[in-house]
Amino acid sequence: MKHRYSHKSLSNDALTMPEMGAILLSTQFMAAPDELLSLSINAGAVAPEGCVLLAMLGTLIVDLAGEKAASRWAPPICYAGLGAALLLLAIQWDTPLEPSFLGAFLADKLAIAFRAVVALSTLLSLLISWRYAEQSGSPVGEYAAILLAATLGGMLLCGSTDLVSVFVSLETLSVASYLLSGYMKRDSRSSEAALKYLLVGSAAAAVFLYGASLLYGISSSTNLQEIGIALLNSPTPLAALALVFVLATVAFKIAAVPFHQWTPDVYEGSPTPVVAFLSVGSKAAGFALALRLLVGCFGAFDEQWKLLFTVLAVLSMSLGNVVALAQSSMKRMLAYSSIGQAGFVMIGLVCGTEEGFASMVVYMAAYLFMNLGAFACIILFSIRTGSDQISDYAGLYQKDPLITLGLSLCLLSLGGIPPMIGFFGKIYLFFAGWADQQYLLVIVGLVTSVISIYYYISVIKMMVVKEPQEASEVVKTYPPIQWKTIGLPPLRVALISCVLITAIGGVLSNPLFQWANNAVAGTPLLQEAIELTTQRALV
Amino acid sequence: MDASLPIRVASQGSVPWLSLIVLLPAIGALLMPLLPKEVNSGSNLPRNLALGILLADFVLILGVFSNLYIPQSPELQLVERINWVPFIGLEWSLGVDGISAPLVVLSGLITLLSAAASWKVESRTRLYFALLLLQASAQGIVFLSQDFLLFFLAWELELVPVYLLIAIWGGNRRLYAATKFILYTALASLLILISGLALALSGGEFTLNLGELTDRSFSGTIGILCYLGFLIGFGVKLPIFPLHTWLPDAHGEANAPVSMLLAGVLLKMGGYALLRFNVQMLPEAHLLLAPALIVIGIVNIIYGALNAFAQDNVKRRIACSSVSHMGFVLLGIGAIDALGISGAMLQMISHGLIAASMFFITGSFYERTNTLSIPNMGGLAKVLPITFAFFVASSLASLALPGMSGFISEITVFLGITSQDAFTSLFRAITIFIAAIGLVLTPVYLLSMCRRVFFGPRIPALAIVNDINPRELSIGLSLLVPTLVIGFWPRVAINLYEASTNSLAEALMRFTT
Repeated sequence: MKHRYSHKSLSNDALTMPEMGAILLSTQFMAAPDELLSLSINAGAVAPEGCVLLAMLGTLIVDLAGEKAASRWAPPICYAGLGAALLLLAIQWDTPLEPSFLGAFLADKLAIAFRAVVALSTLLSLLISWRYAEQSGSPVGEYAAILLAATLGGMLLCGSTDLVSVFVSLETLSVASYLLSGYMKRDSRSSEAALKYLLVGSAAAAVFLYGASLLYGISSSTNLQEIGIALLNSPTPLAALALVFVLATVAFKIAAVPFHQWTPDVYEGSPTPVVAFLSVGSKAAGFALALRLLVGCFGAFDEQWKLLFTVLAVLSMSLGNVVALAQSSMKRMLAYSSIGQAGFVMIGLVCGTEEGFASMVVYMAAYLFMNLGAFACIILFSIRTGSDQISDYAGLYQKDPLITLGLSLCLLSLGGIPPMIGFFGKIYLFFAGWADQQYLLVIVGLVTSVISIYYYISVIKMMVVKEPQEASEVVKTYPPIQWKTIGLPPLRVALISCVLITAIGGVLSNPLFQWANNAVAGTPLLQEAIELTTQRALV
Repeated sequence: MDASLPIRVASQGSVPWLSLIVLLPAIGALLMPLLPKEVNSGSNLPRNLALGILLADFVLILGVFSNLYIPQSPELQLVERINWVPFIGLEWSLGVDGISAPLVVLSGLITLLSAAASWKVESRTRLYFALLLLQASAQGIVFLSQDFLLFFLAWELELVPVYLLIAIWGGNRRLYAATKFILYTALASLLILISGLALALSGGEFTLNLGELTDRSFSGTIGILCYLGFLIGFGVKLPIFPLHTWLPDAHGEANAPVSMLLAGVLLKMGGYALLRFNVQMLPEAHLLLAPALIVIGIVNIIYGALNAFAQDNVKRRIACSSVSHMGFVLLGIGAIDALGISGAMLQMISHGLIAASMFFITGSFYERTNTLSIPNMGGLAKVLPITFAFFVASSLASLALPGMSGFISEITVFLGITSQDAFTSLFRAITIFIAAIGLVLTPVYLLSMCRRVFFGPRIPALAIVNDINPRELSIGLSLLVPTLVIGFWPRVAINLYEASTNSLAEALMRFTT
């Protein structure tokens, strides 16, 4: 396999920093001496991932020291690793753009934004998982290490610009996710979920590999940018086939209908904190992948994939939100709602305009907080009562005002009720869609939001409206609220911060919008696509 | 007008009065959860806090509008514009003109009285008053917002408090009524959002500022489509005939103070938005579709009245009479002249006061009889003479007795239609004739209800009840006195908005020539 590297996007600093790795690797490239000079590993770009990796190794090591040491030391190590990763990502924001690993990874602003979402979702999922893992009697260190491995894969996926690195990171994320969903070894539903996920996920991976090999055959390159150029020059029917395969993988990862079949079962069977990560972190990585592959690589098939994604978005919004109406389990309801939510984000993807991409980033960030806030609440409820049934929430207002308030605000935000953050994100998506004349998508989005308000508010109705005598048995025997148990204080921190950001973040959301627009403006890949879209519109 | 200019400019730079008016209740709502939990049962602290805040807010509204607002000017005053989220065109943009001012005063008064009437709310008082205050803020923003998105945000924001107010403290079928309310309103707001977006994105640069949108002209299909979208969207709130079915349920099931709020303020949001968007922003489409509005208005009047006959529940009967009375608002808006629009405005103010007072009195005797079913009642007049007097007075106001505000507003609407030369005389004659039938029907169903409730054999529940207490008396008087004052001296109200409605009618006239 031959790596190529384009000269024009190279900055001068790269030449002045010959690194050891570059010199070692250069021996393989004797055939092209002019390319030799421009070679640079630029490993600094993956420093945040390095922190996550170190934290993962650290947790594995303390896990060796026994159960007690692990539950004592694993949390601080994870916080430190993820915190350092987020810090490094913030520092990376303004550094000049420079491809690393011979064009296999690119830390552009798009990648940084999505990596931050993934890392933050892991951090919050970890905060809410300690108590849950403790209660289920599973080793904590192992759990944290696997979750960090999934994060590593997800973060690398966001910045991968080469078919090989895409596949490697995708598999890292997937394999870790299979392990996580089967983590409750004694629960047969968890094992079932893991097996289902594994089978469907492997099929998706195989399909992706097939598509990738077709792409390599057409363009004789694995670099996405070069594949894009090759496809632009000679769009063959074979490439359309490759597009379908690649699209299927993306759709599987973001759980778009009709590639969603695994979601409800996996979400219901998996441990709840894992579901929290899968529904946010894994999905964010999937959307980053969609942008890289479809926008960056299939520019030549712009109309085709946009049409396909329009269909997927309409199906996801309708089916996700309609089927959620009929669910009696909280986790299944949130699973279907997350399918619908992914449908909303796809509106931004289909637009292909500046606002479209920015609204995707805004909505993913908003979704991170409101969805994880909702998960924090249902985890706390299930820790205290052991139940995930919606009907068991009846009358909770009397016994646990914090969960009631938090869950209500997060669900209202998911339903797009002002002044929560979800309203602002959704409005931005719809504005972008309408401005790009995606009338069908916007109207379906609006109608299904109303449907979603119905099932979100029926949970709130269950908690708030029921009289004390109508409360469920579970709520009637609700344990006294106390926060002293191990693992509960971090859960409380995560819950309160998510709910606060959901409730107040909307009113103060201007910096978020600013950030998302900067992210889009600072990403050459997206700028090229936007230019292409505007040119087409003018023609 | 020149003299007013310095004041307006000065107020722009100094205190943001309008923001204070709309944010004060919201701040109060945020304070509610901080009150000690013991007060949840029995203590009056949440109610007193809410009452204090709403009273302060009402005084603030009166003070600002009497000192800083110049009713003679049709222009937007006390304007505040702050960029909020520029990426979606959201601005904190408030301003008051003649169409907003009277409705803000009305909603301030009704909300205050509805909080005062919430005497019997004993469970979850903190939540109840927090929702009431939140609702007060949202409705204030709806009436004062000069940015479409801010308007829409407030319009949606009001959904949840009202839903919970009906669903928690309502009657037996409260969940059904609340769900019906939220689904109707949420579906309607889709059309509002789509129409607003379509307007903002068509014809020039993207803007959501209402003033800038008004200055553009939207002609042709886009104007008409958006007009219809707005009409249906706001028509659910007003309500317009086939979209009204949520109203008898919601008004009938909510407790009396919430019904006061629903009838007194929420319906006016629909009428206000019709004036602000359909008439002011889309004059061409309005001129085209005005006859249709008149037809719908007539259907509303007659259908609402006939429907009221069939209701056995006092509150449902009053709710149906609301449908009938809001038909006059449609009629006035459809008359496309200064008199008609002025009549529509006055009808909104007058109906807000009268309907609130009827719901209030109903609530007050419901507390004593524990039934609202007309066949189960009777003989209240002997035991509750003052309640009886109030109820009859409100009914007379509602049936447009001369000397009450309803008379003035309905007669103005009629005059507006008769003096509109744009319609053929046959159309005008038929309109007046059918609407007059509606006027005749109103006394029939209202007075027959009075007879059945207050006369006849006394019901057992009345054995040991006391008549109206001073608190209730003062609330009732606060609603009836303005009705009488407006009835005898309508200038009090008309002066507040006349400049704006005249300029609105002038703008419409410009398009006819």
